[in-house]
Amino acid sequence: MTFRELSAWVMSLALIVGGAFYFNTVIKASSATDGLAPPILGPIIIYIGILILLSIIGHVLGAIAARGETDAPADERDRRVIAQAGNVSGVVFGVGVMAGLTGYLFTYNGDLLFYIAFGSLMVSQLAEYLLQIWYYRSGV
Amino acid sequence: MKALREAAGGVTQADLARACGVTRQTVIAIEQGRYSPSLETAFRIARALGVGIEEAFFWSASEE
Repeated sequence: MTFRELSAWVMSLALIVGGAFYFNTVIKASSATDGLAPPILGPIIIYIGILILLSIIGHVLGAIAARGETDAPADERDRRVIAQAGNVSGVVFGVGVMAGLTGYLFTYNGDLLFYIAFGSLMVSQLAEYLLQIWYYRSGV
Repeated sequence: MKALREAAGGVTQADLARACGVTRQTVIAIEQGRYSPSLETAFRIARALGVGIEEAFFWSASEE
């Protein structure tokens, strides 16, 4: 396994843990109130903190495991994997944002628009890393 | 390609990767048919193995 694939595993895990925390917080807050809870800054900061912390820990452990590979520049296969995963990720994000905007036109609910856009960003990033892993394993 | 590496004096995957400017995992992926290299890398691999490109890489109809 290359360091880049290891990095994709680390970031996927960090995004899943961070996303689970964030939307669990939103669901709990929404069930306490009547309807969708408005977005607040605190959980977003904690979500970013989780991402940073897990990615640092994961990459340090990965660098120890894949010693000597961490500084290697991306070769042509890496670049193709990153480009193809990035393309799909962009489409996922675009579809999510369009869905959110369309929903806003019918509901005029800005909170829902925020959650859909933020969720789309999370899902598109996760899709990018998962696709990188898939392409590294199955071929590109 | 493994046979060509052995015929070239036991060139390792790491040696071949270094000579061609790719990672060892990319060499492994090429050998396993999971990645088709660029023309430039294909030429580099053939040159590193001391053979012509048509000997190192060829089209197999069964892969269609």
